Amino acid sequence: MGTEPGGNETVLSLDGVTKRFGAAAAVDRVSMSIRRGEVFTLLGPSGCGKTTTLRLVAGLEHPDAGEITLRDRVVASASRRLFLPPNQRNLGMVFQSYAVWPHMTVFENVAYPLELRGMKRALVRDKVARVLELVGLGGMEERPGTLLSGGQMQRLALCRALVYEPDLLLLDEPFSNLDAKLREQMRVEVKLLQRRLGITVLFVTHDQVEALSLSDRIAVMHGGRVEQVGSPRCLYEEPASAFVRDFLGQTVILHGQIGALGSGAADVMVTLNGSLAGRTLVGRPAPSATLAQGALAQVTIRPEDIEVGRGEAGRPPANRLPGVIDTLSFVGDRYEARVSLGTEHRIVLLLGRDRAWREGDRIELGFPPELVSVWPA
Amino acid sequence: MAGLTEAIDAGGPRRIELQSILCSVVLAAVALCVVFPLVLVAVQSIQVAPPGQPARYGLDGWRAAFGEPGLRAALVNTFKVTLVRQLLSLPLAVLIAWLIARTDLPGRGWIEFAFWAAFFLPPFTVTLSWILLLDPEYGLVNTWLAKLPFVGTGPFNIYSFWGIVWVHVLTGSVTVKVVLLTPAFRHMNASFEEASRVAGAGGLRTALRITVPVMAPAILSVLLLGTMVSLQTFEVEQVLGLPFRFFVFSTSIYDLLVTRVPRYDAATALSVVILAAMLPLVFAQQWLTRGRRYTTVTGQFQSRVHPLGRWRAPALAWLLGVVFLVLGVPVLFSILGTFMKLFGFFHIADPWTLANWSNVLGDETFLRSLHNTLVLALGTATATIVVHSLVAYIIVRTRYAGRRLLDFVSWLPFTVPGIILGLALLWLFLGVSVLRPLYGTTALLIIAGVIAGMPLGVQLIKSGLMQLGAELEEASRIAGASWWITYRRIVLRLMTPTLLAVGMITFVGAARNIGNFALLTTSANRPLSMLQLDYVAQRKLEEAVVVACIIMLVSLAGALLARLLGLRSGSLG
Repeated sequence: MGTEPGGNETVLSLDGVTKRFGAAAAVDRVSMSIRRGEVFTLLGPSGCGKTTTLRLVAGLEHPDAGEITLRDRVVASASRRLFLPPNQRNLGMVFQSYAVWPHMTVFENVAYPLELRGMKRALVRDKVARVLELVGLGGMEERPGTLLSGGQMQRLALCRALVYEPDLLLLDEPFSNLDAKLREQMRVEVKLLQRRLGITVLFVTHDQVEALSLSDRIAVMHGGRVEQVGSPRCLYEEPASAFVRDFLGQTVILHGQIGALGSGAADVMVTLNGSLAGRTLVGRPAPSATLAQGALAQVTIRPEDIEVGRGEAGRPPANRLPGVIDTLSFVGDRYEARVSLGTEHRIVLLLGRDRAWREGDRIELGFPPELVSVWPA
Repeated sequence: MAGLTEAIDAGGPRRIELQSILCSVVLAAVALCVVFPLVLVAVQSIQVAPPGQPARYGLDGWRAAFGEPGLRAALVNTFKVTLVRQLLSLPLAVLIAWLIARTDLPGRGWIEFAFWAAFFLPPFTVTLSWILLLDPEYGLVNTWLAKLPFVGTGPFNIYSFWGIVWVHVLTGSVTVKVVLLTPAFRHMNASFEEASRVAGAGGLRTALRITVPVMAPAILSVLLLGTMVSLQTFEVEQVLGLPFRFFVFSTSIYDLLVTRVPRYDAATALSVVILAAMLPLVFAQQWLTRGRRYTTVTGQFQSRVHPLGRWRAPALAWLLGVVFLVLGVPVLFSILGTFMKLFGFFHIADPWTLANWSNVLGDETFLRSLHNTLVLALGTATATIVVHSLVAYIIVRTRYAGRRLLDFVSWLPFTVPGIILGLALLWLFLGVSVLRPLYGTTALLIIAGVIAGMPLGVQLIKSGLMQLGAELEEASRIAGASWWITYRRIVLRLMTPTLLAVGMITFVGAARNIGNFALLTTSANRPLSMLQLDYVAQRKLEEAVVVACIIMLVSLAGALLARLLGLRSGSLG
């Protein structure tokens, strides 16, 4: 985890929230709670229900079941027939398209929510100037909203969402319309701003790099349900399901048959199939996985956890597999190597510059048992 | 509308019920004014008792519609005129739209505006102008040609089938298609054409093999619209067809209705035939424009223009000639005609006078009609903006179950000729006792105008709303604005140009509308457009021409204003 969010006060909680479009449930009995000051991310492929969840929180959709609570106030409850419209929820939101109002200037865009709250003119001017300054849009007050660049529009949308100090800031894929370089820069800016202001953020994205780098906690969604909630590191290192494992980062997957089961959290030995038949690997059972002796299994490891050594004769073959470098590309700070493992596995490994690698080199791949997971096939 | 969404906010299933109720009220009101009259028309077609006698049902009307040679001829004429009009005008319009949108023709912006202005010209005024030129005895063109050797009497006769087709092609048929097709051509992705050029095809081959096929959905949709419009044609045939007993089906309906013993059964039977012919066209049109069949032509592509090379000068000359025919001739001669002692008689000694203007402007009925027209046009424009934007908003922005039905119903007024819609509304307002006091008032005409303009108005506002991303509204809601404030400060502000343009078009439409009003006017609520017909009936052609000229000038001013308000002709489609 990055910075520890302040306290354990819950800002938002969802309890069994369901939203159907026709027969299909876009959001299926989702429950989660978000603590004050944290960046909580809904991550998943398109169509997983993350945006619908966000819109339910915003009040732009009505839940078919369940309850949504914002700071001890129930804002939507299907069973109690209660629904608070978006304008009474005191939320801020940055849309994917930024939704900068084209008929208003930069100043008018940011001042709009303050005017709606009946704030005095002088105070509005002051607040708008301060928030624009904060994101580097100072001096652009009189510019029409449409004459801004993509990055500026996004900053403006952020200002508009933050200026009235909402209880919760909703970000709906805010970086997806920016080019790669700007995206990275905005990511850092938003993180700094969030830390500085201590705002609570609910962030929706399909980009795992964004999610991992920006979040305190992530909920991975799939098919309308939450697959797993946890810190970025916990999700990456201890995925609770095959979906989470494959969605986040790269995974090397080998197939085999469970040989011997240890007791408790102890190691499992797997005999590999296919062209690697006869070789064995030892690993840890995946969390909540039930493994039976003789059953088919998957052995997985993150490629960066594989230890690469020269194929030297005479070393014990425990948890090691032989590989051959098929192709090698030098990409500046490192080598990118395609390595074949047996005949049916091709994996991409990053190799350091400390040695001179050559295509056709035989190498030895070490699988540290504590980093190898065994999943039922 | 405020109530509608405050209701959405009220919470829970109750909210959904309230929203549905309000949407249903709108649907019911629209259906009452659109569907109910059409049902009346169908019922009347089998009600054969003469007016004033107890109802009796039979198929006499239908027999008359198909049996009497006159009526059968009218049906044949209608389809003949429609077919010839479309066959002549479509290739012409495609060529013009392509020249304006895809080539380096000089002054193409102005030429496009000229077609836009011509689109606003009232058909009645245009018809009168062409009579000045092509009357077989006195027409200017004919008398000039008669002076040439080898030409006996004037070769052209406007009171003929080809005369009617000529005026039609130059009024509605070409201009409306150019107005609709030009923006579609403009938005076409240029890389389609460039790929063809690179593959080795010449300019013409690219236009025929790539541009036109890619544009096929847009062209087809415009053709369907044009067909629907020409099936309803009224004024041109009424003026040019009557002298040689040439009836199309709308004029024969009018003929059946304004005799001493109106034949409602036969007239309505004819209308049902046309309605049946129209419905598939409406379905086809909606199918073509729904969804993403237009995708190939939209987008942010920079369309580059095609250099015309040595064809530039001839193309420009030709196009200027067309502009002269569709805009120059009608405007010039309708103004000229108002200063003639005897309309059309150029050869008498001292043919010019100012008396027509002073007669008309001094006429008490003219001033009353002018007043009626202004009230009517302003009222229709205002009511249109309110009603049509409500209908469009429900169709585009709500999840109301009946929105598809509403969408379809809003198209229906297009399927009936104006004259029959007027008749049906007459029945509606005379038949339903609470509505009866409206008869003879301008309010009735306003209702007729709102209904008649619904297909176009709702379509325009719908496309405007669809371009307006929903996120702009949602951002305002989340910023803390109620629905009403959002509607006022975001939606209305962003839609203002579209709404004003719709209002302007409706204003012009109401000022020149004849078909819808013909049966609904009395001397109390008679607008200018009917006054000109009355003048014609009273053989005061010169006065009629003055009124027609005034209506034309109002229309042209409207065209200019709508354009200045930023309406792109593209949003018409």
